[in-house]
Amino acid sequence: MAFPAGRELGWLVVLLTAIVGNSAIADEESAEGDLAAYDALVKPDDREHWSYLPVKKPPVPKVTRADWVRNPIDAFILAKLEKQGWKPAAPAKRRELLRRVYLDVIGLPPSPAEQQQFLDDASPLAFERVVDELLKRKGYGERWARHWLDVVRYAETNGYERDAIKPSVWRYRDYVIDAFNNDKPYNRFVLEQLAGDELTDASSETVIATGFYRLGPWDDEPADPQQDRSDQLDDLIRTTSEVFLGMTLGCARCHNHKFDSLSMHDYYRMSAIFDGLQRPQNGRTELDWPAGSSQQVAALAKRDRDIAAAQAKIKQLQSAFRVKFLTDGNSSLPPEALLAIRTEPGKRTAAQNTLAGQHTAALEKEIQAALPEVTRKQIAALEQNITQLRKTTPDLPRGYFMTEPSPKVAASHLLLRGRASNPGPQVQPGLPTVLEAVQPQFPQSTNRTTQRRLTLAGWVARSENPLTARVIVNRIWQRHFGLGLVRTPNDFGVLGDPPTHPELLDWLANWFVHDANWSLKRLHRLILTSNTFRMSKQWNAEYGEADPTNQFCWRFPYTRLEVEAIRDSMLAVSGKLNRKMYGPSTYLYVPKEALDGHSDPGKIWKPFNETEASRRTVYAFIKRSMVVPMLEVLDLCDSTRSSERRNVTSVPTQALTLFNGDFVNRQAKHLASRLQREAADKPNQQIERAWTLALCRPPRADELRIMQQFLTNETQAVRDEAKKRNENLSETDARQRALVQMCRVIFNLNEFVYPN
Amino acid sequence: MNDEFSSLNQLPTSRREMLRNVGGGFASLALVDLLSRDGFFASRAAAAESTSAAARPLLAPQPPHFPTKAKHVIFLFMNGAPSQVDTFDPKPALEKYAGKPYQGKAKVGSNGRPIGYLTPSFFKFRPRGKSGLEISDIFPHTSQHADDICVIRSLQTDTAAHASGCLQMNTGSVLIGKPSLGSWMSYGLGTENANLPSFVVMTDPRGGPIGSASNWMSGFLPAAYQGTLFRSGGVPLLDLATPPGVSNATQRRSLDLLKQLNQRHRQAFANESELNARILSYELAYNMQTSATDVVDLNKEDRKTRDAYGVDEKLTDNFGRKCLIARRLIERGVRFVQLYSGGGHIEDTWDGHNDCRSNHKLHAGETDKPIAALISDLKRSGLWEETVIVWGGEFGRTPTSEGVGKPGRDHNWRGFSMWLAGAGVKGGQAIGATDELGFLAVDEPHHISDLHATILHLMGLDHELLTYFYRGLEERITGVRGQVIRKALA
Repeated sequence: MAFPAGRELGWLVVLLTAIVGNSAIADEESAEGDLAAYDALVKPDDREHWSYLPVKKPPVPKVTRADWVRNPIDAFILAKLEKQGWKPAAPAKRRELLRRVYLDVIGLPPSPAEQQQFLDDASPLAFERVVDELLKRKGYGERWARHWLDVVRYAETNGYERDAIKPSVWRYRDYVIDAFNNDKPYNRFVLEQLAGDELTDASSETVIATGFYRLGPWDDEPADPQQDRSDQLDDLIRTTSEVFLGMTLGCARCHNHKFDSLSMHDYYRMSAIFDGLQRPQNGRTELDWPAGSSQQVAALAKRDRDIAAAQAKIKQLQSAFRVKFLTDGNSSLPPEALLAIRTEPGKRTAAQNTLAGQHTAALEKEIQAALPEVTRKQIAALEQNITQLRKTTPDLPRGYFMTEPSPKVAASHLLLRGRASNPGPQVQPGLPTVLEAVQPQFPQSTNRTTQRRLTLAGWVARSENPLTARVIVNRIWQRHFGLGLVRTPNDFGVLGDPPTHPELLDWLANWFVHDANWSLKRLHRLILTSNTFRMSKQWNAEYGEADPTNQFCWRFPYTRLEVEAIRDSMLAVSGKLNRKMYGPSTYLYVPKEALDGHSDPGKIWKPFNETEASRRTVYAFIKRSMVVPMLEVLDLCDSTRSSERRNVTSVPTQALTLFNGDFVNRQAKHLASRLQREAADKPNQQIERAWTLALCRPPRADELRIMQQFLTNETQAVRDEAKKRNENLSETDARQRALVQMCRVIFNLNEFVYPN
Repeated sequence: MNDEFSSLNQLPTSRREMLRNVGGGFASLALVDLLSRDGFFASRAAAAESTSAAARPLLAPQPPHFPTKAKHVIFLFMNGAPSQVDTFDPKPALEKYAGKPYQGKAKVGSNGRPIGYLTPSFFKFRPRGKSGLEISDIFPHTSQHADDICVIRSLQTDTAAHASGCLQMNTGSVLIGKPSLGSWMSYGLGTENANLPSFVVMTDPRGGPIGSASNWMSGFLPAAYQGTLFRSGGVPLLDLATPPGVSNATQRRSLDLLKQLNQRHRQAFANESELNARILSYELAYNMQTSATDVVDLNKEDRKTRDAYGVDEKLTDNFGRKCLIARRLIERGVRFVQLYSGGGHIEDTWDGHNDCRSNHKLHAGETDKPIAALISDLKRSGLWEETVIVWGGEFGRTPTSEGVGKPGRDHNWRGFSMWLAGAGVKGGQAIGATDELGFLAVDEPHHISDLHATILHLMGLDHELLTYFYRGLEERITGVRGQVIRKALA
């Protein structure tokens, strides 16, 4: 598995090895089944891969243009540019910067009032104030939670034949929103998702966090149950190693990793860590589960037993009296009716059934009225008791997560060739050898769980882990700039790209852990207030020729908004955005034709409710077998695996959806009405208002002229067309229709989806 | 207007791409490392490492790996799993054992359903054409083309469930999330008509296949390669129609305004190719409004042709329309068309658990005449020389009933039939065989990865070379399996 020698010996070794063949494969075959041999494949040199080395604290470099440096980020960026003899791009215009930071932090554009406030603020710290204020808004968590949901393969159904809804899974989404909004330290965020149930301070919140494990697709009717179990574990291994460690451990399932120093033994060690996890289910039906600490869950179970006992007692008292009441002949009902009621339902004649149906309610009324005071009091006391029990031990929220129902787990095995039917030697839980030459002691099981995940979580979340901080710092950088310092955020291995600015990555990772105490908001603030973030997107012919993908960070990268920001911005601009947070997801509009392609078109989607569907897109119901067409065509990520980055495609079907689809045309109508309300019936003001709302700037003179002309011509054309159809169209209506067209065009502008 | 297909830089554009081109492994890695240090990739990292796939002409026509005549595939998907012993795999022995319980070892059937009694074919088999290929009476029209048909009687798959079966037939994997055959084809060959999607799927009016879009999605390939759902009448494509209340003239004027503003905006960002791609996409969309509407407009076909396909006949209208539209699509350069027969659940598909006889009679009746007409029509128009036809479902059915006097058949994934025809296919033959009763493929068994490899081969693609690097692996539709079925080739 070792290859670093080739780096030093150059071409000769390269060619020789090419002739001799791939050493990794040969080693693997000789080692099959021999655990020590797998570990021995990792050579000391393999540990020298950049991302496995401890995070250093590089000195902040000295630069010539010190005035450009607002914080150390700028120094690292500038130093590299200066070495190249380059200059950073000019600062973005104030309005551009404001729109950029709003869309970046909360995923919504600034309102005209917010724009004015910023433009009027002459303070040198005006922008910092905006950043601080935005980071406090709930919208921050709603936007950044979605980024995390991409990475953890979030969707709300299982895929496959039944594609059943994952019950209560939205509580995980709400957990993530709150985690971002409350600035939960990232190391804690890791601990909760990997082992929230095993923490000493476990709570509903931390247990809901472990829903992370259960978000993937799941086949409730697998062809081969044994293989299916192994596939489910594979999903956990892949996702966990890619999300938190930027490590593609999943590649070592059937053979040693072809490029990274990860062996099958490493893979199955991780598998053993997760081996105790089970999905609560009843046959093919998945269950949600009360979320809480083990004490809370136990207390709840006891409460429910106590309540059941009290209820049984009440029932017993009532039925005892009922028997007595009937035996004593105290009822005023006709005897044949009583006989009918007393006959077992299965044994009644048809006539008796009718009688029983007619008189049961009256009998119960009589019985209740005749209840002796003593019994009445007994029942009242029991009911009081039940109320009290519910009060002292309230219900727990139900969450969607896996559980570890027993601390005893069957032995885990390495699966030869990755086949579940082909178990090899027994494997102990452990960590990748290349990162930990000496395996840590996994603690003994408690009386509840194996504590294996807790050990893993603690190892991932500790400050010395070379990957954890680098990986998250890189993800945050990527979401601000469109590209990470490492451009393969899920792969920090040999096949991944090395960092464009290794010192900056390390400086940030170190600062994040030791100075910012894993606070993501402090990391955002540092990045957002840098001059690097404030650069314009202006192209530079010389730099662009030499570095077309901006590896030197000589300008702010030019990128399209994600579908959530596009859709939410349209709602905000049209004035229809519903800010309701949390809770079960909302069903966005889906054209009937899109549902027709499904085996149960009538059952899978709820009727359209515009108010509900106008919530932020993070609350949209994501069904694996039927992604809302507008989200799908605008490159929503695939949810079958961890998604490190959105695609950006421009296909004609996307243009069709944005130009002809229901959503955009609906918002165009709303925006037109809004313009008529807010800018009277004056075309110039309407155009200006529309530009300010949608693009955060006034129209240029040429744009104003073009738009005026369009509105005039279109109004006329609409009237002429109406006349041809013998339709009586008022001037106001004609102008309204022209305005709707203008709004539709604005929502489709390149500048709307590619902010400057 | 050819700049939507501006040619792709053929040099490796990134370290990663270089790695996968060289084939991975130690040698190439070190090689790439050396080149990287020399700054070899720094200046041409543009395409592959850009955030944007839009900057690349994803659907530009690409040459195949080796010369071939075939340019299009029409996949006739018999959703629900047709029974081989009632269609293309004659089993006279079943007459001998009729009504006897099955005593063999074969583990077949699904969901613990009872394996019942051996049941002869509900339809009579006869030798057809010059070749004498045996086909049952269930397909009177299609069997007239027996000499063009190459039946593979020994196919096997890995699952007895419809969801994973459809997934595997379409994507090669029983797990969700892999690209479908049509996506791989679009990725490998691009399309010849930018005004239409390159991969078109038409489902059954009774519903889609189980798993819906996961059967035609592009998985880890860019979304541009996913299948596009077409309807067989009216407005064929989602959001294709101009919105209600908007005239065509207004539509054009609004698009012109959009173009005008976008082009002005672009002056300040002349180097952003994504902006141009997006401007272009609106023009393509506008063209698509006409071209896609036109392609489903069967009034453009003469009466005789429509009649031949069974259009407007109650039984065959829907599948007939789809077959005729399929011809119109490939005639316009569409790469891959998939038509579903059967949708929804159980008896609305070929899933004849209760009464396989009437089930198959219905579904065969709906499709037989249209399929035969499609073959004749392709031959007449010369498209036959460049089109591969694939017929089959996600697996087959058991030669047993599910109980006494119950003419239903259960799932059988250990031995079933499909057929190929058209460009590059050697017709008039049956390849491989199942056992005496039709349970297991025993003679020349072929996993469906072999079928995938063969279809790709017919299209000039080597399944081992048509790969996509994703998360540390060279992914391909055949996984680690797949061998071209040489006997099927002309």
